[in-house]
Amino acid sequence: MSRRLLLGVFDNEHDILGATQAARESGYKIVDVYAPYAVHGLDHAMGLASSHLPRVCFALGLSGAAFKVWFEYWTTATDWPINVGGKPFNSLPAFVPVTFEVMVLFAGVSTVIAFLYVCGLFPGKKANIVRHDVSDHRFVLVLEQSDAAFDIPRVKRLLESFHVAQIEERLEEETAR
Amino acid sequence: MSNGQTEFKLPADLSRLLQVLVALGAVVFVAGLLLAPERIWPSLLLVSYFVLCLGLGGVVFIAFHYVTGATWGIALRRVPEAMSTLIPVGAIGLLAVFIFHPSIYSWTSAVHAPVEAAWFKHFWLTRPFFVVRAMIYLLLWLSMAAAFVRNSYRQDQDRNPVHTRRNERLAAIFLAVFGLTFWLASYDWIMSLEPEWYSTIFGIYHFAGLFASGVAAIIIFAVALKKLGPLEGVLSESHLHDVGKLLFAFSTFWAYIWFSQYMLIWYTDIPEEARYYVARMHGNWGPLFLLNFMMNWALPFLALLPRVTKRTPGLLVKVAVLVLLGRWLDLYLMISPPLMGTKPFFGAWEFGLMLGAVGLCGLVVFRALRRAAPVPLGDPWLTDSLQHHQ
Repeated sequence: MSRRLLLGVFDNEHDILGATQAARESGYKIVDVYAPYAVHGLDHAMGLASSHLPRVCFALGLSGAAFKVWFEYWTTATDWPINVGGKPFNSLPAFVPVTFEVMVLFAGVSTVIAFLYVCGLFPGKKANIVRHDVSDHRFVLVLEQSDAAFDIPRVKRLLESFHVAQIEERLEEETAR
Repeated sequence: MSNGQTEFKLPADLSRLLQVLVALGAVVFVAGLLLAPERIWPSLLLVSYFVLCLGLGGVVFIAFHYVTGATWGIALRRVPEAMSTLIPVGAIGLLAVFIFHPSIYSWTSAVHAPVEAAWFKHFWLTRPFFVVRAMIYLLLWLSMAAAFVRNSYRQDQDRNPVHTRRNERLAAIFLAVFGLTFWLASYDWIMSLEPEWYSTIFGIYHFAGLFASGVAAIIIFAVALKKLGPLEGVLSESHLHDVGKLLFAFSTFWAYIWFSQYMLIWYTDIPEEARYYVARMHGNWGPLFLLNFMMNWALPFLALLPRVTKRTPGLLVKVAVLVLLGRWLDLYLMISPPLMGTKPFFGAWEFGLMLGAVGLCGLVVFRALRRAAPVPLGDPWLTDSLQHHQ
């Protein structure tokens, strides 16, 4: 299914923030916002919910630590007990440093993988670039013309109050995500 | 504020409460001198060192900001500046112990281990040298802390950025001097309670506790000032978020060093080193040993993980109080076992001085906060700090 999109192109950070905020408050559906660099407060302006990545990080870090404690117990105390300096085979303090490292490894790598998954990125993915100048100096707000109530002249007026540089209507291709 | 001073009123009941706590601490101290000197002196050593470290924690916070060029903390810099007035308060208590009750250190009297190999210890741990060293450390810290604050106050008047540059240079010197002297001071004042035991990581361990407790105190005073008015509209959620992150980081740093000391001693298991932990992990000390780890790291770590804890003043203050209580317990576990034997005691002598210290810290810091404007008006980066957000 294809969507009818409306693109507002802006020249600076301040305007894109204001326009995004205003578009959201007026009830228009924001498809995405593109910027050449991370803009502070854009997530707020877009009304994005906070990310679930910290939870993934915590859960996987915990699992990694639990797995490693079990694994060390199994190798040094059950499967092939080794006497190290007369210490008990099951010596928790000796397990801690490696447990810590594995926790960091699990938490770090799994967060990156979860991030790529959430963004729909994978090796060989075809880049979906809205306009080539967003990687240089332009900021683009993409709105969806969701229903009949989407009154284009009104939207244009709203964007113009934030010094929009260019307005473009576009039909989203079927293949694009 | 027109004459460069902060005007705010402590609520009458809070101010009275602090005064009552100080009076209570004084009464308990005098009674303790007469009734239980063997308990009151260690207790005084503990609270004095605790209070001194809060003051130093404030100065380290200031120095970190100047050295790194960080601007976010400038809006709340008056809090650590005021906390630096706790250094003389703690210093008086410590010097009282060193001068009037040196026998708290067994090396001042006992004829222990006349080993030739320990000649350096015999030379290092002599009373006059010990007291002179303590004076040198304290004077160095006091003068540098005073210089930081003086430059900052002068900048309020003349708005001259040259004071910032001066403090940046001073901060670099201070951190080097502080690293060396505080490391030695922790050896002198705390580790030498058990002169035959040693741990090379002890100084860093003490620094970790000092900075975590210093940041916790900054959080409490800053939030109090926000409630009382002077920092209302200045101290934002973003500032709190950043000090919260510092608390999180240094609580974890403490746990890292705590475990590093423990693990190396556990691994090598040399009797002269392991006895430190044998005394602290067995009998009635055992549960306290675990509680220390919970209060200083495990609970603050879990509590500070979610973003909301760091951005909600009420929650953040609760964690800060927990860390300060944990710091007290941490010092109690370092100081008390060799003096109390196999059983921990906690009674009026410990609790009384603890409350007295709380009251005194409150009165001294709030009084110091009145001396200058609520934010460093002349700092060239103040606007940057006021607009800080993340």
